[in-house]
Amino acid sequence: MSDHNHDHEVSDGSDDAPGYYELLEITVRELLIEKQLITAAEIRRQLDVLDSRTPAMGARIVARAWVDPAFKDRLLADGRKACEEFGVTFYDDTSLIVLENTETEHNLICCTLCSCYPRPVLGLPPDWYKQKPYRARAISEPRKVLAEFGTIVPDDVSVRVGDSTAMMRFMVLPRRPEGTESFREEELAALVTRDTMIGVAHPSLNARNPE
Amino acid sequence: MSNTRSLIERLPNDIGGVPAAKIDTTDRELEAWEKRCHALADVLDFRKLINTEEKRCGVEALGSDLVAKLSYYERWIVAFANILLRKEVLTPTEIALKLQEVQARSQIHPAGTAP
Repeated sequence: MSDHNHDHEVSDGSDDAPGYYELLEITVRELLIEKQLITAAEIRRQLDVLDSRTPAMGARIVARAWVDPAFKDRLLADGRKACEEFGVTFYDDTSLIVLENTETEHNLICCTLCSCYPRPVLGLPPDWYKQKPYRARAISEPRKVLAEFGTIVPDDVSVRVGDSTAMMRFMVLPRRPEGTESFREEELAALVTRDTMIGVAHPSLNARNPE
Repeated sequence: MSNTRSLIERLPNDIGGVPAAKIDTTDRELEAWEKRCHALADVLDFRKLINTEEKRCGVEALGSDLVAKLSYYERWIVAFANILLRKEVLTPTEIALKLQEVQARSQIHPAGTAP
């Protein structure tokens, strides 16, 4: 957790006067607080929760699945339950389905309708995940979409796309890269980036997470 | 055939498979108000004021034109305001007066320098 500005209420760190939509956000929030329908403390707590959810959690889970076959079985059988072993908390009754990449199948996740995403294990989605080009094209031309991320999937590997809903979220279990047989679990986790768990990239010895 | 048929068959959010531009894969940090808007959405859900399905419908109800023109969190906050008006949790007058107050305050204390 960072120790940066915890006064989330008004300051946005910029010198610009707030725009219309920011004014509207402040307006709605303050009215609901005045009516005692929500509290300022709840908003602050939730901001801390949002900050605490990062792809590092997903990376730890993937690395465990790579080194512990029994855990991997549990993860593929019931993603939510297996992630709860790591202390991950889920909201509502959302389920998490983990899609395993293999020699013959590559998985990609998207949400055509909006922005459903495995937030408990990956944090908030990147902008492109929420924007029209990715949402529109991921299901109809996934190989072209992957190529735009620099990821080429050979023709003899099938591509499966998981289209998320409010109640059903997906996460990709990427393939463990070759040449990592001697890696410790933490070293493996460093190879697992957000994009590899969305399925738009492969883990690589050349692309590690920042320390 | 009228070209409005697609507007009937597909609501604004239903864009899976339609032709679209190249993907801009660059990342950016959320602005502070966008993150607050996300936290607000979660709290509205916990407090059973607006659930995920109502939120999605609220965005859809903005219509294709606004959905296309507003950014992600701009759509959300406008949808929340509309839903809270419809549920009579807030009134138009309350929003108008509070907006004025917030705007006046922000001109005295531009964001970032507020006490």
